[in-house]
Amino acid sequence: MTFAEYHRRSRRILHTLGLPLLAMTLTSAGLTAGDRHSPREIIDRVDRVLRGASSRGVATMRVITRHWERSLTMEVWSLGTDYSLVRVLSPAKEAGTGTLKASRDIWNYLPKVDRTIKIPASMMMGSWMGSHFTNDDLVKESRLVEDYEIETTFEGTRENVTVWEFTLNPKPEAAVVWGKIDYRVRQRDFMPLQARYFDEESELVRTLTFSDFRRMGDRLVPTHMDMQPQDKPGERTSVSYAELQFDLKIDKSFFSLRTLRRGR
Amino acid sequence: MALPSWWLIGWRNLGRNPKRTFITALGLAAGYFAVIFMVGFADGLKVEMIENGTGLMTGQIQIHSPRYRPDRSLYETIGGRAGADFEAVIRTAVRDPAVVGAAPRVYGAGLLSSGQSTRGGMLMGIDLDREPGVSRLMNSLSQGRAPAPAANELMIGTEMARRLELQVGNEVILVAPAADGSMGNDIFQVCGLYRTGMADLDGAFALVPIRSLQRLLALDPGRIHEIALSTADPWLAPEAGRRLVAGLAPLGVELEVLDWTRLRPEMLEYALLMDSWYSIVVLIVFAFALFGVANTMLMSTFERRREFSVMLALGARPHQILLTVVSEATALGWISLALGVAVTFPLIAWWHHYPIDLSWIYGDLTMLGALIRPVLRIEYNLPVSLWTGLALLVTAVTAGLYPAARAAWLPPADTLSGL
Repeated sequence: MTFAEYHRRSRRILHTLGLPLLAMTLTSAGLTAGDRHSPREIIDRVDRVLRGASSRGVATMRVITRHWERSLTMEVWSLGTDYSLVRVLSPAKEAGTGTLKASRDIWNYLPKVDRTIKIPASMMMGSWMGSHFTNDDLVKESRLVEDYEIETTFEGTRENVTVWEFTLNPKPEAAVVWGKIDYRVRQRDFMPLQARYFDEESELVRTLTFSDFRRMGDRLVPTHMDMQPQDKPGERTSVSYAELQFDLKIDKSFFSLRTLRRGR
Repeated sequence: MALPSWWLIGWRNLGRNPKRTFITALGLAAGYFAVIFMVGFADGLKVEMIENGTGLMTGQIQIHSPRYRPDRSLYETIGGRAGADFEAVIRTAVRDPAVVGAAPRVYGAGLLSSGQSTRGGMLMGIDLDREPGVSRLMNSLSQGRAPAPAANELMIGTEMARRLELQVGNEVILVAPAADGSMGNDIFQVCGLYRTGMADLDGAFALVPIRSLQRLLALDPGRIHEIALSTADPWLAPEAGRRLVAGLAPLGVELEVLDWTRLRPEMLEYALLMDSWYSIVVLIVFAFALFGVANTMLMSTFERRREFSVMLALGARPHQILLTVVSEATALGWISLALGVAVTFPLIAWWHHYPIDLSWIYGDLTMLGALIRPVLRIEYNLPVSLWTGLALLVTAVTAGLYPAARAAWLPPADTLSGL
């Protein structure tokens, strides 16, 4: 085996260590379906549904790959776009495993060896526990409206739902990994339905589908997300929220390595 | 009996100016030496590269599941998910006359963390008893000791140790995606450091007892990724590989058997490139020699134009003159060859057995992922020696043709009258 092969392989496999995009469905801004909105306004609202102020929730992540299938239940806290903390509740083998994101740094806590490991910058492009979410979504603090030019490409009915479709092209100076994102948003309540991510060659890389729009913590949110990578047919990661609370009294000091180790 | 007399005349003419003959012959002999030396050196480099490229880690033959390469997926173990009796594969493989060693291996990719510092690395699970029979990895131990079988101990390269600020005796946390989808993690102790001189290797690979790595990666003891084999000579590997494909078929396990020429095609290509380059070396060296010899022959025939004119005036045929000069050139060729062989082979033999240390010019260097020691390693190459000898004779004869023709078609009357 050649060294070049080893490197290629190690890079790819190492990318499966990291963090999921769990915090992204948390919190929403008050949405009112208005008369006319600019594409920028709409995407900004969608973006704020997916990110936002403080929250706590319990979610189940189900990962299906060609080789195994597993389900993890986890508790998730977030504060703004900078801080989040995830702790695995079950299965027992992995209970206590935690991940802390503070600004651009990510740490993992491993209860078996009672150690925290800072994920090196070179491994940030990965996913967490073999899921199909990448770190980039979480670590990046940028917001869609700041990094992308947005244009409406469709307005009308898709599958009996009145929607807008937007194409987001990165601004020349934006440091983003996607070549293009297509967003589909429900007109009635500004709920995102689908996001399709393309690479720089305009090849579809993955599709994120939102569903089960429910009121949780007094807000309407998509409680189920499904990520399908284009290059691995049959594989998917889905995240379902069982609980969600918003605007909790937690501050930055909560998102510490001590909390990560201790449990809460 | 005409021929021997022309030969005799040619031979005698060489003695007319022994100094000139000697210098010309020395030129051709030096050409011969240059070719043999350059080819020997290139061969030495080639052999060094192949021996180190295959012997350091790869092995001369590898056996995998047919789906393992090129992605090297963690899940594609020999015999699939259920694993296989890989010991039976090893037992069959070592029965091949060319195979001298066999060792199972497991690979994983993960993070190595020493508290503050964390880096990605390749984890290589090795059988501590059998690995030395296949690769020189274990011989590269520079500090500490080899891991104990099945212990949570590992050897890392000096470069990795430097980057992670680790020393022998420190603990390191390994985190790796396991085959059951979980994140395998455990504490290991650094029991030794190795140094191969290859930065790629020393900075990336952690050597772990095979059973410990299987535990970390949630692989059953029967699941391995690779069986590496060594052969007595790297060039025996392709043939042995073909025999193994047939020999292993009755075991009923899906296997892919690859020798180094297919695992490391760039090394084979380099070897083939070198071989074709040899003829170019011969061509260039003797093209220079050709003009040198032709010049000398022209001079010596020009000196003798009166003599040739007398011969022609006395009734010698032009082709007989031609033959005289060509015989002279041929004789010169043989003298040169004898001189070349006499000088070249003792030197080559000496350098082959006592390679010249070049470490004052360059340190260890790597080429195509193989370590090259800083020594002037010279190899014998009999076919090239024979072909070069032939090229020398052809050069000498070719160089004589034009002067010979000039001499043979001299106008005798004009020449003798001093025109």
